[in-house]
Amino acid sequence: MSSSTVQWDPYNADLVPNPYPTYKRLRDEAPLYYNEEYDFYALTRYADVEHGLRDKENMSSHYGDILEFIKAKSRMPDAVFIHQDPPIHSAYRSLMQRIITPKRMLGIEQEIRKLCARSLDPLVGKDYFDMIGNLGAEVPMRAISMLLGIPEEDQTAIRESVDARMRTEAGKPIDFAKQQDLQAEALGNFEEYIKWREKNPSDDMMTELLTADFKDPSGTTRKLTRDEISAIVNVVAGAGNETTNRLIGWMGKTLAEHPDQRRQIAQNPGLIPQAIEELLRFEPPGPFMARYVTNDIEYYGRKIPKGSALMLMVSAANRDERRFANGDSFDINREQRPHMTFGNGIHVCIGAPLARLEGRVVMEELLKRFPEWEVDYENAVLSSTSTVRGWDSLPVWVGSKPKGAVAPKRAAAPEPEVASGPVPLEGKWNVVVKGPTGPQPAVLTLARSGDSFTGEQTGDGSTSQIQDFSYDGKQIYWVNRITKPMKLKVEFKGEINGNVITGKAKAGFMGSYPFTATKA
Amino acid sequence: MPKIVFIEHNGKEHVVDATVGKSIMQTALDHSVPGILGDCGGECSCGTCHCYVADPAWQQRLPPIAENEEVMLEGTLHTEANSRLGCQLKVTEEFDGLVLRLPHSQVL
Repeated sequence: MSSSTVQWDPYNADLVPNPYPTYKRLRDEAPLYYNEEYDFYALTRYADVEHGLRDKENMSSHYGDILEFIKAKSRMPDAVFIHQDPPIHSAYRSLMQRIITPKRMLGIEQEIRKLCARSLDPLVGKDYFDMIGNLGAEVPMRAISMLLGIPEEDQTAIRESVDARMRTEAGKPIDFAKQQDLQAEALGNFEEYIKWREKNPSDDMMTELLTADFKDPSGTTRKLTRDEISAIVNVVAGAGNETTNRLIGWMGKTLAEHPDQRRQIAQNPGLIPQAIEELLRFEPPGPFMARYVTNDIEYYGRKIPKGSALMLMVSAANRDERRFANGDSFDINREQRPHMTFGNGIHVCIGAPLARLEGRVVMEELLKRFPEWEVDYENAVLSSTSTVRGWDSLPVWVGSKPKGAVAPKRAAAPEPEVASGPVPLEGKWNVVVKGPTGPQPAVLTLARSGDSFTGEQTGDGSTSQIQDFSYDGKQIYWVNRITKPMKLKVEFKGEINGNVITGKAKAGFMGSYPFTATKA
Repeated sequence: MPKIVFIEHNGKEHVVDATVGKSIMQTALDHSVPGILGDCGGECSCGTCHCYVADPAWQQRLPPIAENEEVMLEGTLHTEANSRLGCQLKVTEEFDGLVLRLPHSQVL
């Protein structure tokens, strides 16, 4: 027993690199934990988390599965079925179960392999690359887009689509009101694509969503409405991108730290499926799921009152020594027992077959080209949100790292020289947005009249007037509404230093990307 | 207690004492039979407790396949005419002697 009472603060950024010793203490010392500050309960032992996830009588997803959403009693449209209980959940889930099948997922194995080659082949011969930027951020995004039938040219920025909205800053709970605004906006943007696909049917999932009959929660057999499709696609696309990206990051980190096992896998790729299961157990991209408690229940002689929020911590359960011998060690050869990374019960991850497929194919293709690598931790970035924990950036040296090697400059292009004094805003700015498929250039032209500015932005062969321009001497903001490849509102928010603006461009539901603008 | 036999794809046999009222999926998990995942915990929502009924005579004796099981089986990998989802089979005394073969993998 430790001398002090175990505490767990889900927003404590110090815990992000290694939360597991705390989880072990929770399992051993406080298997039913109550956090006073944020008013929630938590279960950490495997048997309890499993029981909780399967407990339809007492656990509700009516307010979602994220702690902040439950505290805010957030409601979502029926079709956001992750956010519903039976029978509403069952109506949509059973429809989606017919569309997202293991058979369908396995059917795209060769396509996934090609996507891996496309990301990895250009890296062969290089000394250094980013497991996230060059691989994790690309393959899952392209795979889900392919399944949905989003044309290649429209995929440039779909990464970070939905879960970007759910991102919390380290140490801060979700800003709930803001998230809801963003959600509404995201749903609106997707509408455009759905309309287009309706007129251009294909053999993709989107076409199937548009044409499938299902029995709605009231028992009527009908097709999905566009709003329902928007909601479903946002959930599916968001879940498919963010979590699988994180899985690939953990693959890069965990295998680098276990070179013997990595060598074993590289020599015998038949071990990859079990290595993926062990990786999923060891570092779940989604560490916890929360539920709203609908009746007074009891665990360990203590009551969890009706109306409480309960965290079911799969990341802690997956390492429970009561179930997994040496749960805190990574061992691809351990006795194979199911883990709970995909959840359990009626809300179990519907995309699990796709995640497993992508994990396996990525590991195969990665090890084929790069049997060894070393992580550049100085330039790696780890983050944790209310929904996912993983690497935002995981640069690695491949092959043998030269002695005293220094990481190459992160930016692909040479950093523009910063002018010493302020430059006039009016005139031409060369804008580069760093999208996941490469830099996207555009030209911003600003004109001044008195104290106000107007302007236009040209990119990808089309020009539009910018809107909502503001500048306070440091911070600059403008909106560019593009129509190609689809209707999107892109918000630029940055800071001026001399003749350079750096900041983020937020492309509707597609997520945020860094940009720089240099005075021409 | 009815005895159930699970045969892994590599031929390894597991003879287990099943509890009446539990599902075949749960029975396999309770006895740590490798090859059954049961990700959804018995909700007919994941297709990772797929097994084959070894003896054709047994196929007739088991409760028939309901609509939700049929829909799930349609999307499940490597199904055969004798495929069942373990979570949809509740053990009764009559299950004594049932032999189930497991696929090489539930997920690939």
